[in-house]
Amino acid sequence: MQLLPYAGILLLASLGLPIFIVMSALALVAFTFAEIDVSAVIVEIYRIASAPTLLTIPLFTLAGYIMAESKSPVRLLRLAQASLGWLPGGIAIVGVVICAFFTSFTGASGVTIIAIGGLLYPILSKEGYSEDFNLGLITTCGSVGLLFPPSLPIILYGLIAKVDIDRLFRAGIVPGIVIMLVLGFWAIKKGKSGNARQAFSFSELRGALWEARYELPLPIFVLGGIYGGFTTASEASAITLFYVIIMECFLYRDVSLTKDMPKIIGESMTLVGAILLILCCALGMTNYLVDEEVPMKILGMMKQYIDSKLMFLLVLNIFLLIVGCLMDIFSAIIVVVPLILPIANEFQVDPIHLAIIFLTNLEIGYITPPVGINLFISSFRFNKPVTTLYRASFPFLLLMLVALAIITYVPSLSLFWFN
Amino acid sequence: MVGLFGFIDKAIETFSKYALIVSIAIMLSLSLATIVFRWFNMTFMWMDPMIRHLVFLSAFLGGVLATGAKNHIGIDVASKILENKGWHSLNNNLRRLVDIAAIVVLVWLTKAAVSFVQMELEFGKEVMLGIHSGVLVMIIPFGFGLIAYRFFYNFVQTFSTKGQH
Repeated sequence: MQLLPYAGILLLASLGLPIFIVMSALALVAFTFAEIDVSAVIVEIYRIASAPTLLTIPLFTLAGYIMAESKSPVRLLRLAQASLGWLPGGIAIVGVVICAFFTSFTGASGVTIIAIGGLLYPILSKEGYSEDFNLGLITTCGSVGLLFPPSLPIILYGLIAKVDIDRLFRAGIVPGIVIMLVLGFWAIKKGKSGNARQAFSFSELRGALWEARYELPLPIFVLGGIYGGFTTASEASAITLFYVIIMECFLYRDVSLTKDMPKIIGESMTLVGAILLILCCALGMTNYLVDEEVPMKILGMMKQYIDSKLMFLLVLNIFLLIVGCLMDIFSAIIVVVPLILPIANEFQVDPIHLAIIFLTNLEIGYITPPVGINLFISSFRFNKPVTTLYRASFPFLLLMLVALAIITYVPSLSLFWFN
Repeated sequence: MVGLFGFIDKAIETFSKYALIVSIAIMLSLSLATIVFRWFNMTFMWMDPMIRHLVFLSAFLGGVLATGAKNHIGIDVASKILENKGWHSLNNNLRRLVDIAAIVVLVWLTKAAVSFVQMELEFGKEVMLGIHSGVLVMIIPFGFGLIAYRFFYNFVQTFSTKGQH
């Protein structure tokens, strides 16, 4: 009889009840059945107000949104084209690089596809790539870069798993490059069969560098500040946002402080609010599950069938790919991480390596049918049926699985910094 | 009556937008000030909790905007399937059911949050600048209350052709 409310809530979740309400409802019902005062759910919600790195989420996200609204995509695309466009498949590689840069700032929220996709698609078409390749590449690249600092999912993972965000930022760099290389090789292979390259021009590179001169120091603020020991992650996010505002509003004058900024703040905070509410509301439920030792019960069941770390990693990948198909990355991190963390620990998976495996799987989830969110965003952006996107993204999905296998089974790619 | 509901909803939207702009401006200024003060070996203990509570408030205000824009993160498998099949009427009715469920849960949360505020007012302590924790936690019922109202207005709107999902 007690199962009925839970079943009802899960049914409503499948009908589109927002995740933060689903998590709250589950917690309220669970606490009621356990005869605990439901204000305990609110105590858990309020706990988030003491998380030290919480500030990074709104500030980095807003910085990314401001850049997406400005002409930064155009300038950076020109720079990437001038520096890499001469390679075989160079234009497609440009797409991968530029999308990775943008996604790291916008947190794989779909903004990359909207901001960069529209610019990249005609260039790729002009260079002779097929429509399927272009759609697949842009759809996939909408989440490539998620492992690079200061990506929002990394910050969120660090908050939930209580893993040092600075270490996670470093751990994601090489696996992120592996993903880009795998996609880059595919672009080169496709590029060799067409005319997808342009002649290198030093004057064009110089012009592009000059045009993007204010954007170029941005990674230094993020990485240099944190790893140089000058700033914490929160302070780096404040400096980054401040610099982006100065750059876009006063140096380039692409964004008006009075006309555009309120709209951009509204749009970015809509995403931030949606994520933080899930974060707040899921704490009650996940802590209840941990208190009830649910992860240990799952572990007990798993140990009957799985006895090695390699086997565990394989099962973990399959499980996370399914999660990635069904849930967005933010909800998945908040809901699933507290449950798998103790289990992974028992199988001696390093928590930092686990983070990178987790995020790579969910990155793949963005392009996995039937409900990978990038498929729908591209479908909307390019006015194509979602089934066309399924077909176009399939080769990229396979490539991403290759990258996932490398990242999962070569832990040193993520961990060599710390040995 | 629907016009009044719409007016209140619009007022909530405008308030949330401006409050967010002010919150972001204060968060950014205080964070930068923290860095500058550190150069002079100065620290102000109230700044950190102030920033964190502003982020907390922003979470709710952002949630208020997300509700108005129907932009909350959800699994939403069924509605995508129903839309693809062209079963718009069934989909619309299920959406109404979802809105009602959201309102019920949010009212429950608001009620629980009010109890928590009462407890904090009685047993809490001063957090910063003379502000009591009981006052700070009022963010929670206030935020859930606003979000609940916007779900209610979304529900009302489904009965007008303009507001069909």
